[in-house]
Amino acid sequence: MARGFRLSSELIAGVVVGAGIGWGIDRLLSTSPFGFIVFFLLGFVAGVVNVVKSAGVVPRNRQ
Amino acid sequence: MTIEPIHQFNIEKLFKIGQIGDHAIYFTNSSAFMFLTVAIISVLMIGGAAGRQLVPGRFQSMAEITYEFVASTLRSTAGTEGMKFFPLIFSLFMFICVSNLVGVIPYAFTISSHIIITAALALLVFFTVLIYGFYKNGLKFFRIFVPSGIPIFILPLVVFIEIFSFFLRPVSHSVRLFANMLAGHIALKVFAGFVALLGVSLGTVGWIGGVAPLALTIAIYALEILVAFLQAYVFAILTCIYRNDALHPGH
Repeated sequence: MARGFRLSSELIAGVVVGAGIGWGIDRLLSTSPFGFIVFFLLGFVAGVVNVVKSAGVVPRNRQ
Repeated sequence: MTIEPIHQFNIEKLFKIGQIGDHAIYFTNSSAFMFLTVAIISVLMIGGAAGRQLVPGRFQSMAEITYEFVASTLRSTAGTEGMKFFPLIFSLFMFICVSNLVGVIPYAFTISSHIIITAALALLVFFTVLIYGFYKNGLKFFRIFVPSGIPIFILPLVVFIEIFSFFLRPVSHSVRLFANMLAGHIALKVFAGFVALLGVSLGTVGWIGGVAPLALTIAIYALEILVAFLQAYVFAILTCIYRNDALHPGH
């Protein structure tokens, strides 16, 4: 369960932070909705990257 | 009769200790429990180290077990050179573990159920790793963002994603601990509240029916004790992993 929670929280943090940054950029630069879309997807990708990393699918310190 | 599952997380101001600008600084119940946690750890460690017997007593073996546990975790993830970081990781692990275990005692306050605490701890780890990585590797530290063996035309995108995921770490690091403790304690409170609700609203039948949620509460309680320890362990082991990544960039 700890592992499951660990992995899901990696993904959720990615999506939420990405969406937050996108929303903030939209607000500041009034580029709505493109900032949100781009950063939401980026956050999703980064979250998946973190999940894959912490799941140990890709070996660490691969030279 | 009302159940307030959130009430247990209330910050209560106990007394004022100072003022910065217009903002008064209070000694809260959270601070009191932090002091309690540190006091328990100090008693355990100082008391455990005081005897120094060859055949350890109860206290000493508890202290030795915790030491050995953290030390072996650290060695297995970071190698012997990782022992430099032992004080930090041991303090983090003990603080989170003991405060979580204190938190599952009824009426006690759970420190790590507030995101400001877990965020502070996660940022401490984040900046320690960042500064130490720069100090050790200099500009080579940036290779952490550039995985090897990536075709040049998608490299900018990958680097961008890597940077993004690097800055996500403190977020997921802190949210994981905070969410676990918060959700667990709320679930515990809600299920325990069902017992009283059933009994009050249905009378005798309700009290008998209340056995089911009571059994569930006990089960969740056991789970909570496990989670309290496990989250401290996960926090410590991720700190090791982050430190390791920063020391050996270019993976």
